[in-house]
Amino acid sequence: MNKQRSKDYRKQIDQALATPKLQDALHKFGDAFLVSREKAFGGLDFEQLRGRIAEMKTGVREHHGELMEQFIANAEAAGAIVYQARDAADANRYIADLARRKKATLGVKSKSMVSEEIHLNKALEKAGTRALETDLGEWIVQLAGQRPSHMVMPAIHMFKEEVAELFSKETGRQEPAEIEHLVEVARRQLRESYFQAEIGITGANVAIAETGGIALVTNEGNARLASTLPKVHVALIGIEKLVPTLEDAARVVQILPKNATGQLLTSYVTWIRGAVPCGDEEKELHFVLLDNGRSSLAESTQCRDALNCIRCGACANVCPVYQTVGGHVFGHIYIGAIGIILTAFYHGLDNAAELVKACIGCRSCVSVCPANIDLEEIILHLRETVGDEEGIGAGKALVFRKVMQNRKLFHTMIKAASMLQKPVTRGERTIRHLPLFFSPLTEWRTLPAIADTALRDAFKAKAQQVEKPRYRVALFGGCANDFLYPELGLDLIEVMNALDVEVFYPQEQNCCGIPAIYSGEKETAVELAKQNIDAMLAGHPDYVLTTCPTCAMALKHNFVEHLKDNPAWAKKAEKLSSITVDAASFVLNQLDGAGIFADLAEKEKITYHDSCHLKRGVGVWQEPRRLIKESGHDLVEMDHADRCCGFGGSYSLTSHPDISRKILADKVHDIEASGATCVAMDCPGCMMQIRGGLEKAEVPVRAQHTIELLAAALRNKPTEK
Amino acid sequence: MMNQSLIELFSEKAVAVGAEVISCTSIAEAATFVAGKVDGPLLVPTFPSGCRSGLETVLRDAGLDVLNAFSSETAGRADGGLTGTNFAIADTGSLVLESTAEDIRLATTLPPKQFALLDPAKIVADGLAAVDPMRRLHQRDARNYIAYITGPSRTADIERVLTIGVHGPKELFILLVPGFSSDFLEM
Ligand code: SF4
Repeated sequence: MNKQRSKDYRKQIDQALATPKLQDALHKFGDAFLVSREKAFGGLDFEQLRGRIAEMKTGVREHHGELMEQFIANAEAAGAIVYQARDAADANRYIADLARRKKATLGVKSKSMVSEEIHLNKALEKAGTRALETDLGEWIVQLAGQRPSHMVMPAIHMFKEEVAELFSKETGRQEPAEIEHLVEVARRQLRESYFQAEIGITGANVAIAETGGIALVTNEGNARLASTLPKVHVALIGIEKLVPTLEDAARVVQILPKNATGQLLTSYVTWIRGAVPCGDEEKELHFVLLDNGRSSLAESTQCRDALNCIRCGACANVCPVYQTVGGHVFGHIYIGAIGIILTAFYHGLDNAAELVKACIGCRSCVSVCPANIDLEEIILHLRETVGDEEGIGAGKALVFRKVMQNRKLFHTMIKAASMLQKPVTRGERTIRHLPLFFSPLTEWRTLPAIADTALRDAFKAKAQQVEKPRYRVALFGGCANDFLYPELGLDLIEVMNALDVEVFYPQEQNCCGIPAIYSGEKETAVELAKQNIDAMLAGHPDYVLTTCPTCAMALKHNFVEHLKDNPAWAKKAEKLSSITVDAASFVLNQLDGAGIFADLAEKEKITYHDSCHLKRGVGVWQEPRRLIKESGHDLVEMDHADRCCGFGGSYSLTSHPDISRKILADKVHDIEASGATCVAMDCPGCMMQIRGGLEKAEVPVRAQHTIELLAAALRNKPTEK
Repeated sequence: MMNQSLIELFSEKAVAVGAEVISCTSIAEAATFVAGKVDGPLLVPTFPSGCRSGLETVLRDAGLDVLNAFSSETAGRADGGLTGTNFAIADTGSLVLESTAEDIRLATTLPPKQFALLDPAKIVADGLAAVDPMRRLHQRDARNYIAYITGPSRTADIERVLTIGVHGPKELFILLVPGFSSDFLEM
C-alpha cells in the first residue's frame, strides 16, 4: 500500500468535507437531476433503450477493426485527414505540429473530455498556441486554473460569486454576480476569438462508420462556431466513440441528453462529414483518433464494458460519494464511477488506486447507466487488481487468509471478542463509546455489541413446531445476523414456522466473502464460496433464505461468477444460486403468505429504507413494502428511500468513516423528516448503521428488519384453542 | 401519427425549449412577423425554396434590410438570420438544417435572432424516423454539415441555472408556412 498517497487522499477528503456549500449544491443537483431525467424518459422504456445501446456498443468492440477501417475510408473520401494516435503524447504531438505549421496563435476549443484526458492545452501552449476554452463551464475552470469537476458540467463546484470574480479580472470591470449577466459577459468576451482563431478544436460524441462523419451533442452553440469560423477544424475522438450506422448514432443521440441533463435533446446536434466550405476555400478537417489505453481496456474481459460508456455523467450525479466530496476528490480527470475505471486504464492504476477504494458499492450508478455497465463489478475487480499489485496491507491479509478462511478460528475469535468487549458494553446491546484510538468509531453512531449467544448456538435451543412442513429451508445467517442480531434469525424461524416452513441452520456456513471482495482479497472470497456452497447444499434444502441482501448477492451472483470456470464447482454454485431467496420475497412470492399477517400489527407509521444490495443487487423493493402494509402498518415514503445509508461494511468502519458519516447524516435526516416512528429495512448492515446513527443523534425512531416487524405482528395473533 | 398531431407535438416540444412557433398562411405574413422582430441587417442566404418563392423580395417589401451575400465579419454584425428548414422532428421539437453551405451556418450561429421557415408537411415523428432523410442527404452529397437545432442556445454551467443565449442565437422563431417546400432534401 502506498501510505503517503493514502494520506494525501485523506487530506483531500477532509477538505471537501469541510465545504458544506458544495455538498449542498451537489445534493440538490442530484435530486433535480433525477426528477428531470424521469420526465425526459417519460413514455420510453429505459431498460430496453439501454439494452440496445449496450448491445450495439458491444458489437462495435467485437468488430472494431473493420468498422474503424470503414470509418476512416469514408472520412478520407470526404476529404478529412485522419490520424490514429497511439497515446496522449502522440496525439498532442500531431496537433501541436499542426498548430505550428499553421502558425496558429489561437485555438478555440469546444468542450472535449478527451482533450482534458491528454492535457492538450499544455501541449498547445508549448507550441506557442493559446488554447481557449469556449464552453462556459470549461472557460470558468480554465480561468480559475482548475480542472473540470464533472464531465458534463465542468464548473458545477463553483458559485456565481467566484465566477464574477474571475470574469471581473478578465474584463477589468467589476462584474456583478448575476448569472444572466455573467453569461452575457462570456458571450461578449469570447465572440471575437472565433474570428481570430486559426484552429477550432472539438471532441465528438459519435463517429459513424457508415458515413465517415461525427456528431457533436452540445447546448451552447460554441462547437458550431468553433467548427465553422476557423480555417482548420481538429476533432479529437476517442476510438470507442465509433458506431456502425446512422440509426445507432440516432440512438445514442436520443438517450444521451436525457440521461445527462434531463433534456429531450440538446440545443444542437451537429453532424459533420468531410471538408466543408470555409470562406473561399475548403475547411481543413483533421480527425485525431485516440487510443491511449482503450485497446488494452478492450482486452480486459472484466473491465471492457466500460468502453460502452457514452459519457453522460449520470454515474456521478447519483453517487452519494460524489455528492459528498465532489468530482475533484472523487475523480482524476474522468470522474465518478466511470472515472475510476477510465483513470485506471488511461492514467494508470496508481492514479486510480485511492478512487477505487472510495467507492462505497451502492450500485446507484449501475441503475442509471444508459450503457448498462455494471460499474460496481468492474470497480471491485480493479480493487482486487490494486490489492494484488500493492497488497491490501499485511494485517488485513492475515485476517482474511489465516482467520476467515478457517471458520472455526474465525468464530472462536469472534466469541473471544465478545468477552473482551464486556468493559465497554457495560452489559448493554450497543456500544456508545470506545476507548482510546477506537473512539472515533463511536463518535457519530453507536455500534452493536457482539451477542452473548450467536444465532448458530441459539438456533439449537429453538423449538420448531411444524407438523407437515411445506418446505425445509436452510438459513444463511451471515455474520451480522449470526453474531450481532441473533434475535433476527429467531424471528425468522417464528415467521417461517407460522407459514409451515421448517428452518435449519447449517453449522458449517461461513462469512459470505463480500467483505473480502470489497477489500480486494479475491482468493479468500473464492475459498469462502466453496465452503458455503458445500455447507448450504449439504442438507438438501428446498430453499436457502437470507436476511442480508449482501449475502443474497453473494450466494446468487458472486459465487457463480467466482466458480464459473471450474466445472466441478460451477454446477453446485448455480444450484445454490437458483434456490437462494431473500426472506421477504420468499414470504410473498414462494409462500404467498402475506395473508397471515393481515392487520395483525399494532398500526405504526413506518418508513422503508431500501438497502442498496436488495434494491439494485437483487432487484427487490416492492415485496417488503407490501408485507409491511398488509400487516396493518401505515407506510410513508421518505425522500431518497433508496439512497445508500453509508454503511458499506469496512467502508464505514475503517476505510472511509468520514464519508460514511456524512452519508448517514443525510439518511437520518430523511428518516426524521418522514415523520415515521420506525424505519424498516431488510439488511442487518443497514440496521447497524442506521440504528447507530439514530441513537447517537437521539432521534426517537426505531430501526427494524421487516422480518422482525412480521414476527412482532404474529405475536399479536389471538391464540386459538 | 397524423400530420396534424405531428405538428401539434412538434410545436409543443419546440415551445417547451424556448422557441416561438408561429403559424403563417403565406410568406408575406411570415415576412411581416420577421420585420416586427428584427432591428438591423437580416442575413438571408440563398436556398432553393426561398428562391422559388421570391422570398428576398417579399422580405424587402416588408421593410427588412436583407443581406444575401455576406462575409463572416458582416454576419457577426447582423441582428437576425433567416433560412428554410429541410425537415423537423416532432418528439424533440427540432429543426434539421442542411448547413454545408457556409452562409447557412453563419446566418444560424452568429446573429442573436434566428428565424426558420418550415413547411409543416415536413415533420417526422422522432430521431429514428429522421434517419431516412438523413441517410439520403448523406447519399446525395459527398460532404455534410447538418444541424439539429432545438430551441435557442443555452447553458446551465453557472450553478445549474438554465440561461438562454450563451454563444448561439438567443431567440429562435419557427415560422410554419404550408406549401413552402415539401422536399425533405431541400432547404
Ligand atoms: S458509465 Fe454510464 S452513467 Fe457513467 S458516464 Fe458512462 S454512460 Fe453515463
